[in-house]
Amino acid sequence: MSAPAPSVTGAPAAPATAEVVGYNVPSLGYRIVVAALRLIPLFFVLIALPVGVLTFVGSHGIAVPISTAAVEFYGLVVIAILTARYVLKPTAAYGPLSAAASLVSLLFLYYALSLSPYHLTVPGGSASISVGYVLFLEILMIIPAFGLVAGILTTIEDVRSPKERLPFDYPA
Amino acid sequence: MAVSAVPTHRTPPGIYRAARALRWVSAIVFILVILFAVSVGYSAFEVARSSPQSHGLSASFAPNGTVEIGGSFSLSNPGFYPIEGFELTARIVNASGVFLGQLATGPTTIAPSSDQSFPIALYIPVSETGPAVSLLTVDQYLAVDAWANATYAYLFPISVSLSESRSWGAPFEGLTVTVGTPMAAGGGVAVPVTVSFSNHAAFAQDGVLAFVIESSSFANCGSGSYTVDVPPGGYFDQTQNVDLSAGCSPAGGEVLSTFTTGGTVVPLPPEPIP
Repeated sequence: MSAPAPSVTGAPAAPATAEVVGYNVPSLGYRIVVAALRLIPLFFVLIALPVGVLTFVGSHGIAVPISTAAVEFYGLVVIAILTARYVLKPTAAYGPLSAAASLVSLLFLYYALSLSPYHLTVPGGSASISVGYVLFLEILMIIPAFGLVAGILTTIEDVRSPKERLPFDYPA
Repeated sequence: MAVSAVPTHRTPPGIYRAARALRWVSAIVFILVILFAVSVGYSAFEVARSSPQSHGLSASFAPNGTVEIGGSFSLSNPGFYPIEGFELTARIVNASGVFLGQLATGPTTIAPSSDQSFPIALYIPVSETGPAVSLLTVDQYLAVDAWANATYAYLFPISVSLSESRSWGAPFEGLTVTVGTPMAAGGGVAVPVTVSFSNHAAFAQDGVLAFVIESSSFANCGSGSYTVDVPPGGYFDQTQNVDLSAGCSPAGGEVLSTFTTGGTVVPLPPEPIP
């Protein structure tokens, strides 16, 4: 792919101790193409793999702990937000979209947490198994929680000093 | 390539560094959690594959009118993580819902890549004074309910419950003690007494079966005994003549029997005499 053309220009008034630093934002078309390519691994990780595992387990007569529809819905929403976030990374929408993706993940994990413990009745038998996973999901929630805070920080930074982060996100 | 410019510092501002650090920490935690989840899944699969094994299960009459089921079972933990707080409780009731016995073990921790053996000692009451005297003479099904609790890989509390119906083979299945018609013998009166039963238990009946013929007024009319050596699945059927006490009529009375084995006396259900 050819080198992207810059799409963001302009320079606000310089702080007294600051110097002028260059940055190189990829063009909108370039970002859309890369975002489209990123859809492939995102779709595999967030939808195809979990839905495939749930379907495989369900096809063997074992009740699954969460519905495939819920996983698909979560996956589609997060993929949409992450794709938009990548395309809009040079803009002020990046921070809110980062926070939104994390918030959706937090809500999904909270929903999954509410389904704990997982009860499994062994097919054709009189045995049942119950597995709790609250603590595991609570640890897992650290990830989107940090992402949410990072998104909020980026939003604040973009409001206070627009384009301040661009030289570091897109160094020349 | 055209390059835009913005006045800023060479080093990223604090808020930018904070956001970036949080994203890095988040990514590292994500990778660690995924690795942990994969290893837990693999370990749990290995544990599930190595199902519990029972060793040397045996049954025998024990003191206090009980049958002791003894032996051991072992649990294998071939995974990477410990099984902590493992507790097992098993409860047995008969078909009528009468509680017969309970087995409990733990709590204990089974270390990774190790086996642990647990002793089994379950006492089932079978005496005539116990709640399930029919276990001596009637084959039946017993309900076995078992619960196990543990925490696997530090984070996952697991409960397993199991309900099974197990067949019980009575050691004196179909026991009958038949008192025949009195007849003159050697200047007195004797009655033929026939004892028959099948040994449906998993253990041999090796001992002495003694009986007393009691009249309707609880007088001792006579007694006798048999030497019993019946393997599992075997059948016993013998008759012997018993001299009756003078003037004692067994009619309307009952036959009281006991089985003595290895120093343990097991009272058998009384048999009425027509």
